[in-house]
Amino acid sequence: MKKYFKNAGYFIKETGRTVKTQLLSNLFSALGTGLIFFLLGIVIAGWYTGEQLITMLSNEAEISVYFDNNLDTDQRSTLLQLIENLHGVREVNYINEESAKKRMKELLKEEAEILELFDDNPFEAFIQVGLHLDVMDTVLDQIINIDGVEYVRDNRDILEQIKGITDGVKILGFLLLLAVGITTVIIISHMIRVGIYNNREQINTLRLLGAPGGFIGFPYILVGLGLTLSGALFALILCFIIINGVYGGIGNYLPFFPVPAKGEVLSNVGLIIILASIVLGVFGSLIGLLSIRERNNA
Amino acid sequence: MIEASNVSLRYKDGTLALKDIDLSIRQGDLVYITGPSGSGKTSLLKLLMGMEYPTEGTLKVMNITIKESNRNKIRKFRRHIGPVFQEFKLIEGRTALENVMLGMRFLEYSNKHIRKMSKDALERVGLGGKMHSNVENLSWGEAQRVAIARAVARKPSLILADEPTGNLDHKNAIQILKLLNSFRNDDTTVIITTHATHLIEELGNAIFVSVEHGEITIERRG
Repeated sequence: MKKYFKNAGYFIKETGRTVKTQLLSNLFSALGTGLIFFLLGIVIAGWYTGEQLITMLSNEAEISVYFDNNLDTDQRSTLLQLIENLHGVREVNYINEESAKKRMKELLKEEAEILELFDDNPFEAFIQVGLHLDVMDTVLDQIINIDGVEYVRDNRDILEQIKGITDGVKILGFLLLLAVGITTVIIISHMIRVGIYNNREQINTLRLLGAPGGFIGFPYILVGLGLTLSGALFALILCFIIINGVYGGIGNYLPFFPVPAKGEVLSNVGLIIILASIVLGVFGSLIGLLSIRERNNA
Repeated sequence: MIEASNVSLRYKDGTLALKDIDLSIRQGDLVYITGPSGSGKTSLLKLLMGMEYPTEGTLKVMNITIKESNRNKIRKFRRHIGPVFQEFKLIEGRTALENVMLGMRFLEYSNKHIRKMSKDALERVGLGGKMHSNVENLSWGEAQRVAIARAVARKPSLILADEPTGNLDHKNAIQILKLLNSFRNDDTTVIITTHATHLIEELGNAIFVSVEHGEITIERRG
């Protein structure tokens, strides 16, 4: 280890020289690797957001309980009380007809004027019940059997659809991670092999002078690492631009859409891309080095 | 230092380069290996460097047996050898000083010490004023001296010089041979291959190993 620190300046110079020897090829390799990491970053962001969304919505699972409109105030209060006391229910809110209409207006925004076409308020009063997703079935069964309850609407279908999409994104993410890994290792190991071939005379001389394999090969590890880290940096810049843009769009057009904090998404994406680039850079370089067999005369 | 017993070397294409070599060289000896081109001089040197392995017999250099299974030991023992290659094998795009230092970067010396030893070696071979010149800008003779400096800077136990006088005129060739001789001492053995026998006749006592058709004859003078 001491020898590596002692020769740090030499290794960095050699790395620079090796990169300069095939500058254009190395630039394109870094760019290509960067684009692959960028794709990975977007999938990870989608996956993370989906997971967070599922978690948030699961915790905010809610149902709307519609009851007989002929129930008087006392009966409605009793109904509310009964539901509130059920195990697994987090909160209970009574939404009257006017509040229901107001909510729809807020959702529709510019389209809200369509509601003016109705002479009477078309919305019914209902009871909004917040509960834990894992007890939804039990609570539903209990609520539907309460006198006065006509029907119950839940958001389980939406949740299951979102979960399905997230699972799909997860599988896509794994496949993409595999593709990214294999492609990056192939690109980097190929560039290292070309670099070694171009410097074969120097390598052979070093072997004849008694240089250990680690001393000879270390600059090439740095080359591979440099290529993948450059690509990662490029990918992070692109991810930053895209994710910022998406969050801006969500803020303008889907303000009620629950998404994790942008900083959280960016830091998770950044961490995974950097880690992947380090692992793949070193691994690709080692594959490139090992694939060059020592010649018999050295 | 070197003990060869019934050593033969046959290349993969079937060429018999060396046949039944018996050779004993002590520490501090000066050895000239002579013979016409293709006689087996370079093959003998390759065996001593561990670049080739004997197909028959036993060869020991600095107490290491030269055989394929000792590859890792051979790579380490090369750190005690100062090779001067026929084609120099200098690294282009680097200065004379950088080339000499490169031969010692993986040894147990500090960077400061390596730099000093390299500068001293270049001064010794007469290139004190050219240490910061890129090697591709040096003349043939100067490049030869850089190669010698790289070999001797690491204070080797064994200096192996393969045809160091090739392409040099008489005067420069003698200078190079004398320079190499000057590094011989009680701790350093010098082995030089050359086909210019007329040159080494002028240089006095040494061990003369004559190689012809893969066989050797040894003459010790002095």
